[in-house]
Amino acid sequence: MSERSPVLFNIGWNACINCGACVAICPQPEPFISPFDTISVDRPCDIACMLCESICPVTTIDHVAWEGTLPQSPLNNRSHHT
Amino acid sequence: MSESRFDVVIIGSGPAGSTTARWLAQEGISVLLLDKRQELGAPIQCSGAVSRHALEEVGVPISEEFIQEAIYGFGIYNEAGKCTKIDYRQLKPDEYGAGESQVPLGYVVDRRRFDRYLMTQAERAGVTVQLKTEGIAYQPLDDHYCSVTVRHYNQTQHIKARLVVGADGLMSQVGKWAGLRTHIRINELASCLQFVVDKVPTDGLLEIITGHEWAPGGYAWVFPKGHGYAEIGLGVIPTLTKRDAQWHLKHFMESSFFKKRFSDCRILEVQGGGVPLASPLRTQYADQMILVGDAARHVNPITGGGIHTALSGGYIAARFLTDHLKHDRPTRAADLKAYQDAWLQKLGNKMWKLYEVKTDIFREKDIPTRDKRLFQTMAGYFSPDSEYKKI
Ligand SMILES: Cc1cc2nc3c(=O)[nH]c(=O)nc-3n(C[C@H](O)[C@H](O)[C@H](O)COP(=O)(O)OP(=O)(O)OC[C@H]3O[C@@H](n4cnc5c(N)ncnc54)[C@H](O)[C@@H]3O)c2cc1C
Ligand code: SF4
Repeated sequence: MSERSPVLFNIGWNACINCGACVAICPQPEPFISPFDTISVDRPCDIACMLCESICPVTTIDHVAWEGTLPQSPLNNRSHHT
Repeated sequence: MSESRFDVVIIGSGPAGSTTARWLAQEGISVLLLDKRQELGAPIQCSGAVSRHALEEVGVPISEEFIQEAIYGFGIYNEAGKCTKIDYRQLKPDEYGAGESQVPLGYVVDRRRFDRYLMTQAERAGVTVQLKTEGIAYQPLDDHYCSVTVRHYNQTQHIKARLVVGADGLMSQVGKWAGLRTHIRINELASCLQFVVDKVPTDGLLEIITGHEWAPGGYAWVFPKGHGYAEIGLGVIPTLTKRDAQWHLKHFMESSFFKKRFSDCRILEVQGGGVPLASPLRTQYADQMILVGDAARHVNPITGGGIHTALSGGYIAARFLTDHLKHDRPTRAADLKAYQDAWLQKLGNKMWKLYEVKTDIFREKDIPTRDKRLFQTMAGYFSPDSEYKKI
């Protein structure tokens, strides 16, 4: 399940029920939390364990490989395909 | 904020934080209780079932303000729909019932109103409460003090305190600030989804449905919600299924032995959350810091219930801190270990025992055997002679 290279998470906000389960399971030692009580979507995750994706009750988290720059508006539901 | 100095800063005003705050203030300790939310309890991440005993034990008046429905017992189902009914109206009719001389066993509460009520009680006891205030960091200063950094309407504030209480729930960051190992294992966090619905009849019982088919690693529930409404939900352990909670809830509602009962139902609210079916944190304190409630994983690992344990944990923390601070003792980690010891003695050791019971059930690889054991354990847990019935 684990990928080595850093990823950038993407949340489909339309389905997110704001439940916080992704934050609860996140093993990052430092806070990795968005202002909406989800995991961060505006910086890369270098652990890439994907536990947040497995715990989400509505499967609304996915990710892209981190390319070193942020897409234009990460909070604006970039192309979300689940 | 006119004051920038308090004896205690409490981060998070859920049941754990507000109970700790109220009991400290009643003893003359100065407390700042803060919460980042604008409306406590919202969005709802809880089904709200709590025993009457849990409320009375920590001096919470039973109020219409937060009660949605009175509860008189349990219905525990196995996968095929066989039910063990534990109805205290029949088991102990002298005590439990809706009559004038009788009492309910517990309640389903509205967490928005409940959390606000508890906060108001704390405020009336002398606590300074501040909403829209997020705890950002804390820094131990010396043996007796720390500095807490918060953000309030985009302004950064620093507060000097003798210690900080992390009551910031399951998403707790306060423990991480102190470098504690707070990580939950994926096979011990249930992914939960629930609907508040209309047109599903209930009868004053908390109904719990076990069985791998419906809720692998957890259970499904149907709770009365007042005004003729009900709550239907479930929690699943992600390592035991390839599907998400949403799929399982649909499957449960459309295919289980309750499908006829649910066939006319209308969804009024959608809620969810994570429930740790895990052990308490092994270390719940650090220099100038203690954790209480979900933040310390004070959650019943069999039922996933955490309101009672948050309330009692708050009370235990307040009792300990009152004595500690009144004697001007230092607040280094070594001095605060006694808080955890007190908690273990009053509550925690029983929770560790429950954790072992739960772990033992899920060690069983044969699904029908495991289902059978979970059903029997649940039915035994809620029976009148259960040794755990007061957790
Ligand atoms: C779907 C579901 C159903 C449940 N059903 C039941 C049930 O029926 N019965 C039961 O007993 N338990 C139930 N639980 C568990 C119960 O909800 C929790 O155990 C309980 O809420 C724990 O209380 P707490 O005070 O520790 O934390 P919380 O209630 O989570 O409160 C924490 C507070 O801290 C605030 N906060 C967090 N971070 C910060 C910060 N940095 N700065 C400021 N404030 C912050 C939050 O806004 C929140 O108000 C359920 C849980 C879920 C997910
Ligand atoms: S787990 Fe999923 S639904 Fe819950 S807050 Fe995270 S992204 Fe939203």
